[in-house]
Amino acid sequence: MNWFIKRIGQGLFTIFAVASLTFVLIRTMPGSPAQQLAADIRQNQPSLSARQINVMVEQRIGVDPDQPMHEAYMNYMLNLAQGNLGESVNYQEPVADIILRSLPWTAFVMSVSLLFVFIFGIGLGAIMAYREGSKFDVGSSIIAIFLSSVPYYVAAVVMIYVLALELSLFPLSGRYPRGVEPGFTLEFFTGALHHAVLPAASFIVTTWGGFALGMRGNSIQVLGNDYIRVAKLRGLSDRRIALRYVGRNAILPMWTSFLITVGFMFGASIILEEIFTYRGIGYYMFDSIENRDYPVMMGTFLVITVSVVIAVLVADITYGKLDPRVESGGGDESY
Amino acid sequence: MSTHETSQTASTEVPDVADPILEIRDAEVYFDMDRGVSRVLDNVSVDIERGEVLGIVGESGSGKSMLASALLDAVVDPGILSGQITYHPGDGSSVDVLGLEKEQLRQLRWEDISMVFQGAMSSFNPTMKVGGHFEETLEAHDYDVDAGMERARELLSDLYLEPERVLDSFPHELSGGMQQRALIALSVVLEPNVLVMDEPTAALDLLMQRSILSLLEDLKEKYDLTLIFITHDLPLIAELADRLAVMYAFELIEIGTSDEILGDAAHPYTRSLLNATPNLDAPLSEMQAIEGSAPDPVNVPSGCSYHPRCPLADEECVSEDPEFRPTFTENHQAACFHWQDSAEVIPFNIERSDTSEVDDE
Ligand code: SF4
Repeated sequence: MNWFIKRIGQGLFTIFAVASLTFVLIRTMPGSPAQQLAADIRQNQPSLSARQINVMVEQRIGVDPDQPMHEAYMNYMLNLAQGNLGESVNYQEPVADIILRSLPWTAFVMSVSLLFVFIFGIGLGAIMAYREGSKFDVGSSIIAIFLSSVPYYVAAVVMIYVLALELSLFPLSGRYPRGVEPGFTLEFFTGALHHAVLPAASFIVTTWGGFALGMRGNSIQVLGNDYIRVAKLRGLSDRRIALRYVGRNAILPMWTSFLITVGFMFGASIILEEIFTYRGIGYYMFDSIENRDYPVMMGTFLVITVSVVIAVLVADITYGKLDPRVESGGGDESY
Repeated sequence: MSTHETSQTASTEVPDVADPILEIRDAEVYFDMDRGVSRVLDNVSVDIERGEVLGIVGESGSGKSMLASALLDAVVDPGILSGQITYHPGDGSSVDVLGLEKEQLRQLRWEDISMVFQGAMSSFNPTMKVGGHFEETLEAHDYDVDAGMERARELLSDLYLEPERVLDSFPHELSGGMQQRALIALSVVLEPNVLVMDEPTAALDLLMQRSILSLLEDLKEKYDLTLIFITHDLPLIAELADRLAVMYAFELIEIGTSDEILGDAAHPYTRSLLNATPNLDAPLSEMQAIEGSAPDPVNVPSGCSYHPRCPLADEECVSEDPEFRPTFTENHQAACFHWQDSAEVIPFNIERSDTSEVDDE
């Protein structure tokens, strides 16, 4: 249990550190966003007093340019703790709302991608291992290596060109068909899925190969173990050996990299969603960078960091549960 | 490979046993390799008596593990096993092991002839509890799981383990000695008649080796097992084994009762092996390593394969392969032309006719 608490503490500390870093960046970046915002407001509404402008700036990004550093920091962190991420300069609405609106879409594309990466990667990798040295194995390995060396954004552009522009099989952009009301309707759901195919496929096509090769290597290594031979001699069915012996022992080491891929996908979503004009969290982050919308930038950055921290934390905690050989870091058996 | 033909004729002549449970004839294993045919078991013929403990001794790379795998028709893949292995379950029937269908072979293994591998540490699935291994084995062979698990608990406590604790542990939570004993219990949970053990104590310390050996003796009595114990450690097995068979260069070269082998080894290799073996009674200074190295399976010397290292070798040894022949007694046999002279040329460095001296009491 101690280990568990310690690990969560570490996660919280990381988030805290990132939040503080964001604050420092915002305060010290050349042409400080706070000052820039103040200047913007002054330009638009020259009638306001300096004090009023500072209050407005604080409202927007939680940083009052005239406050002493430590006080401002306290204020900002307290706001954050209450879930107040400030207000978007561009959209004139709370950053938290923007994130709540966009995050589910990113999560949706990511879950679809992860599911298929997992199925293709693990499945093909295992088959490749069982047929080690066959034409299938060699062919798949080459394809896997080739595809995993293609950057996901290149895959995205190629897919847009071929599947969306030339063949018109999939929509070019957007999250769901125009004119369909979001809600629990089949039309909305299939529409959303249709729109998610290309962004998800860009991930899947470029990521499955790494998993397949990893799974292939692990499986081959597991297959060479004595316990597989003993299991065969004990007369266990091939199915049981494949699932309970080879599968389990080969997949386990990949669990961590699988969850780390979640983190990678969050990062990749920034560019990918921009390419597909897919209004997920990455899209808004890109957008905020372009428009110098610092509150949104800070908010999305924080959310992405927190997601990555959570993914790694989940990887760590669950791995100990999945693999009995991994004792919890503190060496006690209480979880 | 001219040696091959001559030994074929010799191989049918094996020491008699009254009630063989396994008859092995001309067992041969080879691998086709780029640089030639690698023959890792060369026409081994031997009978195994019901209820005996047969020790098979040889240096690493002498083919003894191959012989163990051959008994279960479990030679690893590109290896090709030929010859004849007949199993007599004891009800008057006999089973042609190498001629069995896949399913029959699956049943024979573990139900009739079981095996403990070298390195218990790697014989368990690391992500499965020890108890799960017992259950799945019982299920795979359609045994009554409850009764089988009861037997497993009894076996484990016979081996001085706490059954519940061991069954509920993951393999890595047990020490090497505990894993080894759990593996022995797993190998006899289906009540086989024959238990083949390939270096089962190799990774353990001396004390644990001894205690496992004495446990095996009890287990053998209680469950009427025939034990085939394969090891490089001659003195270790000599205490437990009724008979010893010595392997050199993928062939059997001498067989006899433990006392005969230890007291009157006839084959020059056996004598040198005994002299080279560390023993509680022999000061280290007396130990003599055998000169030269074990032969390459692709390129076994012609004639007697031991001739490059043998102090008694002459032209006959180089050109012809010695057949198995009776020595001091009818059933103490050795494959050597000059066995009568071996005692004189290779004297023992200690007196070891009395094996009971090294008892673990
Ligand atoms: S046959 Fe000849 S070479 Fe072989 S062991 Fe006997 S004496 Fe030595």
